[in-house]
Amino acid sequence: MAKISVFVAAVVALLVLSVPAFAHHGVAGYDMAKTITVHGTVTKFDWSNPHVVVYVDAKNDSGELQHWTIEFASPVHMVRAGWSKNSMKTGDDIVIDTHPSRNGAPIGITSTITFILKTVVNGQPLPTRSE
Amino acid sequence: MRIRLLVLIAAIVATLSFSRVLWAQSAQGSAGAKAPTASAGIPDLSGIWDPDFHGPEGIRLNTWDSSDPFAQHPEKAPMTPWAAEKFKSVRPPFGALQTMDNTNDPVQRFCDPPGIPRIYMYPWEITFIQTPKVVYILYEYTKVWRAVAMDRDHPKDPDSSWMGDAIGRYEGGAFVIDTIGFNDKTWLDQTGHPHSDALHIIERFRRLDRERLELAVTIDDPKAYTKTFSASKVYKLTNAPMGETLCAYSEMKSFQENVIDKTQTSSGK
Repeated sequence: MAKISVFVAAVVALLVLSVPAFAHHGVAGYDMAKTITVHGTVTKFDWSNPHVVVYVDAKNDSGELQHWTIEFASPVHMVRAGWSKNSMKTGDDIVIDTHPSRNGAPIGITSTITFILKTVVNGQPLPTRSE
Repeated sequence: MRIRLLVLIAAIVATLSFSRVLWAQSAQGSAGAKAPTASAGIPDLSGIWDPDFHGPEGIRLNTWDSSDPFAQHPEKAPMTPWAAEKFKSVRPPFGALQTMDNTNDPVQRFCDPPGIPRIYMYPWEITFIQTPKVVYILYEYTKVWRAVAMDRDHPKDPDSSWMGDAIGRYEGGAFVIDTIGFNDKTWLDQTGHPHSDALHIIERFRRLDRERLELAVTIDDPKAYTKTFSASKVYKLTNAPMGETLCAYSEMKSFQENVIDKTQTSSGK
């Protein structure tokens, strides 16, 4: 069930790096030109400043379990986009697009002040936002 | 009895007149509609203003140098040798030199106040409370506020502080703030440009129309920069209530360790 598939988004990395997309830090640690889809189970949903974070257990294409950490914008900005502290909970099934860490660690960014990538919880899509 | 009635009527009239300044607008008008004024020459700044990072006018600034707003060449700012030397050691979270590897951004690392004018570079709301003697500015980011004195000049030798000594005036329909008396602990912007305790900032808030509020910031710091420079951005009237965006050191440290630091190592551990 759990599966990680990879595709490359049509984003010019240099252009993205030049724009201050984050509220309190830049995106130098992430590969903004790449988007991957993580399908797994929510192990924790941390609704706090400076950024909302979801922890997800998911298997990669080799069947190995990975512990993903994926960040979003601040709680205030996620609320304004239509999310809430109840948008997901431990044990939920989640399919989430994210820009992965450049160093290959299972860490990603799915939302900043300017965008929210596709996030589907128990089959229900949450609000997204285009750049 | 008649005197009491007259006093009551006078009190009601006075209250209504004053509350017009404090009246909170809702963001339901159309763009281009005429900007309301509180009274002759005094702009009505009430309501909640969002920096609008999404719309076409949402200008996201990394520096106040309008020739390089996204800090693609932050080293080219008109720094004095003193400032250029300080700038060599910064590890900023934004711009072309951005790094999250052991950043020494005082906000990012220590939850220091971002100070003025850097606070305007964050994507959070602001609101104003206008009274005849003081205009208060409330900032959603870190829930800080300023008192802008409308009835005095600067002290001759102000104490240094994070937010400085601010005096204001209404000029040509704009709200103009003149601030001095800063400490030198904050960064001027998101990319680590330094400033000295001689920093002098002019903020000019001007309503473009009912929906839009322009902020123009001019930086004057002869110890740190060889010339004055400026930039502007636009805020939009919003119905979104101001929320909690405190910088709690425990939360910041946890996020740094659990997320950011793991994107910086070769193994991610």
